[in-house]
Amino acid sequence: MRSERLKAAILPMSLLIVLEIWARSVDIHSDALAPPSAVVLALFQAFGDGSILAATRDTLASAFAGLAVGGAIGLFLGIALGIFQPLDRLMEVTIESLRPIPSIALLPIALIALGFGYRMEIVIVAFACVWPILILSRAAVRSIEPRLIEVSRALRLSPGDRISKIIIPAALPRIFLAFRLAAGIALIVAVTVEIAINPIGLGAGIMIAQQALRPDLMLAYLLWIGLIGYALNAGLLAAQQHLFGPAALAGEVR
Amino acid sequence: MNWTLTLWRLASFAVAAGLIALWQLIANLKLASPVFLPGPDRAWAALMRGFSNGTLLEKTIGTLEHMFYGWLVASVVGIALGAMIGSSRAMRSYVAPSLEFLRPLPVSAIIPVAIALFGLTQGMALFVIAFGAIWPMLLATVHGFGAVEPRLYEVARSLHMSRLAVIFKIALPSASPDIISGMRLSLTVSLILAVVCEILAGLDGLGHWVLLSARAFRSPDLFAGVILLGAIGYVTALAMSLVEQRLLRWRTSGH
Amino acid sequence: MTSIALRKDTPSAQLEKSQIAFSHVTLDLGGKTIIENVSLDVKPGEFLCIIGASGCGKTTALRLAAGLYQPTSGNVSFDGEPMRAPRRDVAIVFQDYGKALLPWRTAAGNVALALETIGMPKAQRPARIDELLKKVGLPHHAAKYPAEMSGGMQQRLQIARCLAQEPKALLMDEPFGALDAMTRQGLQDEVLSLLDASKATVIFVTHDLEEAIYLGDRVVGLLPHPGRIGIDLKINLPRPRDQLTTRENPEFLRLRRELFDFIKASEA
Repeated sequence: MRSERLKAAILPMSLLIVLEIWARSVDIHSDALAPPSAVVLALFQAFGDGSILAATRDTLASAFAGLAVGGAIGLFLGIALGIFQPLDRLMEVTIESLRPIPSIALLPIALIALGFGYRMEIVIVAFACVWPILILSRAAVRSIEPRLIEVSRALRLSPGDRISKIIIPAALPRIFLAFRLAAGIALIVAVTVEIAINPIGLGAGIMIAQQALRPDLMLAYLLWIGLIGYALNAGLLAAQQHLFGPAALAGEVR
Repeated sequence: MNWTLTLWRLASFAVAAGLIALWQLIANLKLASPVFLPGPDRAWAALMRGFSNGTLLEKTIGTLEHMFYGWLVASVVGIALGAMIGSSRAMRSYVAPSLEFLRPLPVSAIIPVAIALFGLTQGMALFVIAFGAIWPMLLATVHGFGAVEPRLYEVARSLHMSRLAVIFKIALPSASPDIISGMRLSLTVSLILAVVCEILAGLDGLGHWVLLSARAFRSPDLFAGVILLGAIGYVTALAMSLVEQRLLRWRTSGH
Repeated sequence: MTSIALRKDTPSAQLEKSQIAFSHVTLDLGGKTIIENVSLDVKPGEFLCIIGASGCGKTTALRLAAGLYQPTSGNVSFDGEPMRAPRRDVAIVFQDYGKALLPWRTAAGNVALALETIGMPKAQRPARIDELLKKVGLPHHAAKYPAEMSGGMQQRLQIARCLAQEPKALLMDEPFGALDAMTRQGLQDEVLSLLDASKATVIFVTHDLEEAIYLGDRVVGLLPHPGRIGIDLKINLPRPRDQLTTRENPEFLRLRRELFDFIKASEA
């Protein structure tokens, strides 16, 4: 186990060392590259003046707000379509024609309707998050053991109780999986919107660093965005395993 | 049986048509400002106009080109690299963890670095799209190579197959379901990144077109562009699933 | 020279020359001794069956013969040469046919895999594939994928691929273990007639005592923990064998009793 971890660390470590030595020895003046030590230093400075923390807050706030809105819509539709087959069949063409629209294409529409800021970013993130959650929660509801549905009929549960006491708990592991995947998408879309146009958050921060010809700061942002992405994924993965056990990962869709 | 399916399908189209009619109604009653919500009639007219004078076709081809070249480079490099890493146990344990670490990185964050390296050029777009699209395929190939049935490697050993033959006749086909689903995912990523690069670098394509239309408050043109981007997403995904069905016929065919 | 040629035909000379030879073979895997001090000679053309209680290392012994495992001590040789790696003229029929076939190739494609690796020119392959598929009773299934075939058909296909290697020896690891009784009897007879034509040496691992007696020239029984040879019986039943008369032969019944007692004692 330990030797596996060691092996995993060798490649990135040696890359960093080579980069550091190379950057130091040729004394690079590049707009794109900086010695790793300078990148780490820039990251600490950005922490020191609070700029990267504010940017992180903005990005995560938009991403999670979008995830919440899109997730709620997706979950509602997914459960509804999962329970009522006829509804699913009726909505098929509508859903299949909206789904392939790349979320980022809505950016100009959101821009003229809502202007720069949180709201337009949230709308775009929400649009992107609706689909994976809709598709996966619909599949989750459909795959519920039919015996459980029979039990709920036999117990004469009201439709509301049937959904809250049987269907949602039974489908919960896979719904959580859907949220985990959507959280990754939310972060990506939020950063992308900020890089493309919206002047807030980490995406804007990294663009400003690039335009200011500060490769150290730009790469510090890149490193930080990467760490957030990794931490988000690892945290949700751990939560998923903790809450539902390793079996929940079996139905993983890649 | 087929009849009822057709009926449901028709009903489903009717629902979509109804929603479009609702959209028209909202636009006609000016419930939303026509500045950003044109009716479907105006969007459709803009689409037709754009095609008859050739502008939209040109933009569509531009976007398709950006997307496709980046995706092609990513496919070739991703599968080759994935095969290299995946076919050796040592490479897997040294390299795969680094790849897993990079997987959740929001790929668009590489855009500023690419701009610093290449400027606002086609080369930048190619690099960004290829970089973004490579991950699903690379990881799928590494995973697929790692998951080859060990029995097949024994068959290969007893037949004295060469290393190259093992890769092309055993490992690649065996990993092909993973690789193809990676390629499908990459196609979506390519489209998104193509649009982003066009917006940022002003490259000729639908991304740039929708942005310009928005800036000039030409909302029918904007919607025409969005509809086309949706169509590109739909058609490429459809084409990919047809290819998948054809290539993976051995998998679906049961008793 | 003439004396050598002459000696080849005498029975005493055949006793000296063996095709597959285990000499004092021991194998440790993961700190456990699986096979201990096994010596075994298999003559060219001989049909040897290995039986034993589960955990006795029958499959391991077969994998040693195939060159898929290397002994910890002692050695395994084929035609007098040490077996350091699998050989193309030694074919293996795995029990789990579903895993050993290429699911993305048709029946013809699976047979072609062996022909490609032995370097047969492309033009000659179709005829050879037809011939092999006909031999194993699958002449009309060339275009089918393994997923479209029954278990028995898949196992026939694996045998066809092995025959395409033109093996001097065929190693079979419980090849019919996962099949139903009727299919199994049909395949037993087919294997006998196929081998009658090819004259290949066979090591056949099975847990079915009757199958071992019915097929073999000789049955070796292994004792478990660790695997050792416990019994070595010559099967003197007339060939060609027949599902009804052979199985009713008093000698068959006597051998069955002997092996049954052996297994029972080894499990105790």
